[in-house]
Amino acid sequence: MRLLEFQAKRLLAEQGIPVPESRLLRSPSDVSGIPLPAVLKAQVPIGGRGKAGGIRLAADQNEAAAIVKDLIGSEIRGYPVRAILAEAQTEIKREIYLAVLLDKRANQPMVMASAAGGIDIEQVAEQAPEQIVIRHIDPFIGVPAYTIRCLAQALGLDGVGGFGALLSRMYSLLGSHDATLVEINPLAETTNGLVALDAKVVLDDKAAFRHADLFASLSEEQEQLASRGRGADPGGAQQLAAERGITFVPLDGDIAMIADGAGTGMLTVDLIQDAGGRAANFCEMGGHSNAEVMCQAIEVVLANPRTAALLISLIGGMTRMDEMANGVVQYLEHNELHLPVVVRMYGTQAEIGRATLRDVGIDTFENLPEAVERVVALAGEQVPWPY
Amino acid sequence: MAILIDGNTRVLIQGITGAVGSFQTRIMQKYGTQVVAGVTPGKGGRQVHGIPVYDYCAGAVAHHEIDAAFGFVPARFAKDAALEVIDAGIPLLVLTAEGVPDHDMLTIIHYAAAKGTTVVGPDTPGLVSPGKCKLGVHPNRVLLEGHVGVLSKSGALSYEVCKTLTENGIGQSTVVGIGGGPFWGLSQESVLRMFQQDPETKAIVLLGEVGGTMEQEAAAFISENMDKPVVALIVGRAAPEGARMGHAGAIIEGEEGTAASKIRALADAGVRIAYRPSEIPLRIRELGV
Repeated sequence: MRLLEFQAKRLLAEQGIPVPESRLLRSPSDVSGIPLPAVLKAQVPIGGRGKAGGIRLAADQNEAAAIVKDLIGSEIRGYPVRAILAEAQTEIKREIYLAVLLDKRANQPMVMASAAGGIDIEQVAEQAPEQIVIRHIDPFIGVPAYTIRCLAQALGLDGVGGFGALLSRMYSLLGSHDATLVEINPLAETTNGLVALDAKVVLDDKAAFRHADLFASLSEEQEQLASRGRGADPGGAQQLAAERGITFVPLDGDIAMIADGAGTGMLTVDLIQDAGGRAANFCEMGGHSNAEVMCQAIEVVLANPRTAALLISLIGGMTRMDEMANGVVQYLEHNELHLPVVVRMYGTQAEIGRATLRDVGIDTFENLPEAVERVVALAGEQVPWPY
Repeated sequence: MAILIDGNTRVLIQGITGAVGSFQTRIMQKYGTQVVAGVTPGKGGRQVHGIPVYDYCAGAVAHHEIDAAFGFVPARFAKDAALEVIDAGIPLLVLTAEGVPDHDMLTIIHYAAAKGTTVVGPDTPGLVSPGKCKLGVHPNRVLLEGHVGVLSKSGALSYEVCKTLTENGIGQSTVVGIGGGPFWGLSQESVLRMFQQDPETKAIVLLGEVGGTMEQEAAAFISENMDKPVVALIVGRAAPEGARMGHAGAIIEGEEGTAASKIRALADAGVRIAYRPSEIPLRIRELGV
């Protein structure tokens, strides 16, 4: 879960990391009592807000109210603005980049820092990689004092109070909250010490069970205050998939696809493309599936109205094919099919599953390429959407 | 020979008394795997399919020589279960759980490295040396004993490819599922190194996917350290940027994560590229293996 800026800063503040005084605004009438002069920042879950006009300065309340009126309901890089963070403007001596994250290459946490803060770190990595300092952290030891001294020197922060405590707190936030990224960019050096001016925190969804209350309250806040990008979810298929815990990625074609594994799902989407078709989605049920999940997955992918045919691509390991066929039949008992369905079925109890599907008039194949060719041909015969 | 497991491997099953654990243990036993002990906390003293059950791994290793542990343990308990296996000094651990938190995986990987345990997974169907030992949930009929090593991030994709190899009379030395990431106990590079050293493996099939940089690292290893031929299939050519394609690690973030970039790196390293499973037996035949 990627947190909104104000959520990330609240976590930082809870750890004792200095952030500017702030208020969250939902409408122009909320501006009374905000710190002035203020920086007004649109709370959207995407970078590059400043360039897109999502960060503005206000000298007084009237100016702030006008900016809030202007921003609320507008779109920043495709995301409608529903909340604005008003922060006290900070006198900045200079800006630094500082992040702690889990490094996938090294299987270790790491600190990434640069004296060139305030700008896109990927741009720095590309144009001036020598300006980025990286230190890996042994998870059994934590951040040693010499690493802090070494980073302070590299950042020109020798003798600046609070750096060691700040870095240690970022690192402890990473572990205590199951974060995969805690990034402060820019970290401002001010006359009053170091202040986190912008923050990005990503929490590991796989660890939600350890922080059930925190995840629930953060999600609820995001639902109220941020929205998905526009137009991404025809028919609400994505929403339905999320409610049911089914992996679903919308694509721009017209062949709905369901697989029982991630790798074979990606392969099926690739083969559809190679055969001249376009998949409408990627959908994967996982390796321990049952009839109920199969039925729900069909409901999910067919919620998207831009579908001309459905391919179900199954090669069971633990999943039983007779169960999968029962799931398809279960769907047919409650729904009328408005498009052709092709099923590729191989693995445990496949003979029984294929017989069950034959009885309800559904084509089955043992080989994936044949099934793909068939579904691409059938989709081509359909009247293209919109009907 | 084969790699990691063979006919002499003695296996411990964690979570042996559960429905899935018990069922899959029976299938492994029937395949010929020597399952010598099981562990389920609180169920010590029982037997499952004639296999003695212990409360803790320590109890099992006190009574049996154990070469490998296979965990049917849900993700939220995976760390504790893995630390117990590592602490008991068992040299190989297969982590099947999907959705193990990243911080837990780092702890497992570091503890395993410190104590000398090799960890396969997480999110893997396991591994199998056909005809010798199955430490996994692969469908038996896609497997055939032979000389092609297979390594895959995806379980189902490895079934698909083994099915094609087997139908074409091409057997496998060992099939290793390294799992869906984004952190891996065993990397592609580590498995390639083992296959390179295994006298029984004559060629290798690498099944990769979008996300991360592991395939690029494998390509660098192949070009510098391998003389055995490698055939690769990378899936996710039609995957969009920024979407998680089912596996935790399968998300394109930047150019290096794309299938095209991985295919280029592997081709530059001399790897033969297949774009669909049916092309893999053809590439293998071209090699004269």
